[in-house]
Amino acid sequence: MAGPPVIEIEIKDHLFFPDEVRIPADTKVKLLVKNLDPTAEEFESYELNREKVIAGNSEAIIFIGPLPAGQYPFFGEFFPKTAQGKVIVE
Amino acid sequence: MKNIRTALLPLLFPALVMADDLAVDKVYHPYVQPLEQEVEWRMVAADGDHLQRLGLGQSLNDRVFVEGYLLAAEEGDTFRLEGYELETRFQLTEQGEFAVDWGMIVELEKAHQEDGWELATAVLMEKQWGRWIGAANLWLEYEWGDEVKDEFETAMALQTRYRLSPAFEPAIEFYGGENTRALGPVAMGDVRFGAGKKLHWESGVLFGLSKKTPDAILRILAEYEF
Repeated sequence: MAGPPVIEIEIKDHLFFPDEVRIPADTKVKLLVKNLDPTAEEFESYELNREKVIAGNSEAIIFIGPLPAGQYPFFGEFFPKTAQGKVIVE
Repeated sequence: MKNIRTALLPLLFPALVMADDLAVDKVYHPYVQPLEQEVEWRMVAADGDHLQRLGLGQSLNDRVFVEGYLLAAEEGDTFRLEGYELETRFQLTEQGEFAVDWGMIVELEKAHQEDGWELATAVLMEKQWGRWIGAANLWLEYEWGDEVKDEFETAMALQTRYRLSPAFEPAIEFYGGENTRALGPVAMGDVRFGAGKKLHWESGVLFGLSKKTPDAILRILAEYEF
């Protein structure tokens, strides 16, 4: 059985790439977050009910959804001024 | 209401807290963050006396978190060390990966200067429904030693929480054990102090639903993560 669709997000220079992730409504999605910086970062979103610390030069899996349509911001807790993004559910 | 001395017995003998007596403590969640350290203080009080725990914890990786506690109790004007506890929490599934998130906890507790031991393990479950979160801890405990009766016990803790805002989330909790039936409102929230540093607090009053449970039990928790 196929698993949920996988979307990759990279953290580089304390920024998320891409900083906008579009996913379909009512669908579970697997985010593969790769931290390319040497320092740790925490993917955090109260709206998504997720927080995940990702050590430097490592990666983490974050499942989100199924979600209703809307916008769900996320940020990097260790560098919140630069590391910002959002999940757009449509 | 049960006899006050009997009601407070668990507060005076922490090795018995989980099993024979007052099963009100906290609701655990099945998640572990890597690179996280915390200092935790929590208190359970009833009928004027209380039991406090002071803990220092550290995640070993993204699946395992260990924490050691000192337990102290106050009875009347006497406040003294009552026991030690070592706790290991395991995250078994990723959050949101399955219909229910799963974790496990194992605790070893010893009474101070007494031959009283307790080994406890619980299955930790959590599920989200929109802004609502349901959490359940199902405990199996074994206590032994010269000061306690060797026996198995079971206990449970349930929590339903509404994700109102990061700073304030209302909840309802239920605790059940051999001599405990308690239900009541709890509030919790986070105060952020900077990158990776936050204070998590919880406070609530559980009302006894059985003769053996105190009428009102106050529980307070403060956890500084860094």
